[in-house]
Amino acid sequence: MTVEPLLRAEDIAKSFVATRALDGVSLAVLPGEIHALVGENGAGKSTLIRILSGVHRPDRGAIWVAGRLCQFGSPREAIAAGIATIPQELRLVPSLSVAENIALGDLPVRRRFGVLPAIDRGRMRLEARAVLARLDFAPDPDARVGRLSFAERQLVAIGKALRRRCRVLILDEPTGALETREIERLFAVLATMKTAGVAIIYISHRLEEVIAVADRCTVLRDGRVVAVRERGAYDLADLVHAMTGRAGEPAASSAGEAGEVMLEELGIPDGIVLRRGEVLGLAGLLGSGRDRRVRRLFGAAGEAVQLRLKQRIRRLAHPAAAIAEGIGMVPAERALGLIGNQSVRDNILLPGLRGWRLNNAAGDRLVAELMDLLDIRPRRPELKAAALSGGNQQKVIFAKWLALRAGILLLEEPTQGIDVGAKVQIHALIRDFARRRGSVLLSSSDLAELARLCDGVLALRQGRIAGRLDRDGGLEESRLRQAIGG
Amino acid sequence: MALATMHRVNLAGQAPVATLAALCIFTALMTDRFLTPLNLTNILVQSSIMAVIAIGMTFVIVGGGFDLSVGSTAAFAGCVGTGVMLKAGILLGVVAGIIAGAAVGLANGLVVAVLDVNPFITTLGTMVLVRGLVFLITGGAPVGGEVGLPSAFLAFGTERFLGLHYLVWVPLLLLVALSWMMHATPYGRRVYATGGGREAAYLSGVPVRRVIASTYVWCGALAGIAGIMLAARLQSGQPTAGEFYELTAIAAVVLGGASLHGGEGTLYKSVIGVFIMVVLGNSLNLLNVDSYWQRVAVGAVIIAAAAADRLRHRV
Repeated sequence: MTVEPLLRAEDIAKSFVATRALDGVSLAVLPGEIHALVGENGAGKSTLIRILSGVHRPDRGAIWVAGRLCQFGSPREAIAAGIATIPQELRLVPSLSVAENIALGDLPVRRRFGVLPAIDRGRMRLEARAVLARLDFAPDPDARVGRLSFAERQLVAIGKALRRRCRVLILDEPTGALETREIERLFAVLATMKTAGVAIIYISHRLEEVIAVADRCTVLRDGRVVAVRERGAYDLADLVHAMTGRAGEPAASSAGEAGEVMLEELGIPDGIVLRRGEVLGLAGLLGSGRDRRVRRLFGAAGEAVQLRLKQRIRRLAHPAAAIAEGIGMVPAERALGLIGNQSVRDNILLPGLRGWRLNNAAGDRLVAELMDLLDIRPRRPELKAAALSGGNQQKVIFAKWLALRAGILLLEEPTQGIDVGAKVQIHALIRDFARRRGSVLLSSSDLAELARLCDGVLALRQGRIAGRLDRDGGLEESRLRQAIGG
Repeated sequence: MALATMHRVNLAGQAPVATLAALCIFTALMTDRFLTPLNLTNILVQSSIMAVIAIGMTFVIVGGGFDLSVGSTAAFAGCVGTGVMLKAGILLGVVAGIIAGAAVGLANGLVVAVLDVNPFITTLGTMVLVRGLVFLITGGAPVGGEVGLPSAFLAFGTERFLGLHYLVWVPLLLLVALSWMMHATPYGRRVYATGGGREAAYLSGVPVRRVIASTYVWCGALAGIAGIMLAARLQSGQPTAGEFYELTAIAAVVLGGASLHGGEGTLYKSVIGVFIMVVLGNSLNLLNVDSYWQRVAVGAVIIAAAAADRLRHRV
């Protein structure tokens, strides 16, 4: 291997207020190579990508593109250096056409009468056709991007990168929202770009995909590189071991036999049934409707829902009604679980506000107890919630529902984007809640998490429950993945 | 580091008081007419009506909204109140004025909270609409000018009680009662939560639409009280009263440290913001600054306050 890497990053370090996100990470990507980047949530993948694409500046370390030392002050400079990023949430303008989106940021201009600058629409369309043809994609260049499917929009985004002559293409979870057929098409596109000498960084949680498509694979854990493997020199178990640092965490000891039914969703054929003391998983790909199913049970799906709660039928039209029945929800977006500019104390007490007077002394006591119990740091209830680290914010959201003595918790991605230590604490919290006869519905894209924590897992496909897997039959990740059609 | 953040929070929290103090000291040093009893009384009386409006505006802004209609609402309430007063006496007149203000607020609140129309546009609409209504019901003439309003009501606009003008007692009492409500009742906490994060508050069981609508009702009712005070001071219900009050009130609330993003702000600090605006105007007057330049200065202060708000949130 004497080929010069197209992208080289050496000894990159980055800390945020409360956490060290990256600690001396190095990465070299060759031209024509697909280089996978894997790691658990919070391992530092996104931070590394943000540094490579000019969003964050590293505290330490250096980046070379094609042998030239680069210091990016903004995403614009990274793009100019030839690094293009295709994020999960595509940054296209839905109301503009395909050709306009591809040209945006670098519009072809011609001079009318020698002076007036005008957009050269003819050339814009021509260029759009040309770059998309290289991806074997021929949409109407005047079609509005908002009307295309996600897969098509992704191709438009890649086409945009090609037009800017990108030499390094970063794809963040590119297959998360794609169907099998679309994934094959994307892989064909990647193969084309490989032969054109583009260096591709491929980030994915789907390890089978990584094994199939990557020439090399770098594994991050807790902000460090823990392994770099060549194609064919590793398998799934190696990757999981490298990512988690364990041969496989012991599965949750089942909380004992599940108790009576606490919650039953009525009015639909595949209603969810949740028992006392049970951790029930909800697995499904992006777009399988997991969010909607969870929010439905919380009365937050925009329609009233009928539930049987401890043998009584209840109609929930909004979250306040669900909360009154002792149901709590931890939403996937932390900004929806927590009000950043209010104090930790006010956040914890918010769902329990009743009546005309506040009982400040009792509130303070409760908050202090919960902050101790959940080890929320720092122990300063007056601090604004936004000032806490991600893991501590998540604990504050849990504390809200524990303060109310909720009997049922609906959790969405409870450990997404929080560091490993806090993740362990949150997992312990969930198990403990179930052991104390509470019921948990755990919706997660992290199949390892589901396999570790759940007594049973519901597999969701296209909004419907396609099956239930139980711990007796084994809850391995691979079996879960198969059940959800990944 | 924890100490440093604490200091920053404290300093940022005291910025309105410090600004006001600096302004007063500067003016007192520049002219000896500032610290006279007459001038200080004038400042208090001038601030009193705006303070009532700014207290109401703080409810709306803390709840994440915005209200441009308060000036028109004050004029509306003043004219309705004095009109009723001429026929049915002081008490019913005052009640009618406050109800008129609250009704405008309720209309704003319902459009914003239930129809989800942008508050800026909604209240821009009611600002023009309500002013039109005022001219329709009064025919453009002052209410109670020639006939004469009840003398007790006129005394309320000029006389003092325990050394302070009645007009100054109104914001003082409102400030004490409503500050208590914002901080010691679940309702107050819900207003802050809704403004800080509407969706998050909704998912925590807060009836966000009702809370948002209620902030506009408060704002309208307080603008109604201000309208009655204004009528007492002007000795009549003036259809043109209260023009540009919305701008001064919003500027005062922002100067008082409330965030235009919602969820942050304190009633008494908004009142300090009002004092900053009034003392600024008073100071420029005493220093014989040209009135055209005064407008430039007030506009610059408003932009500076909003920019400071942005800077606070960038960190």
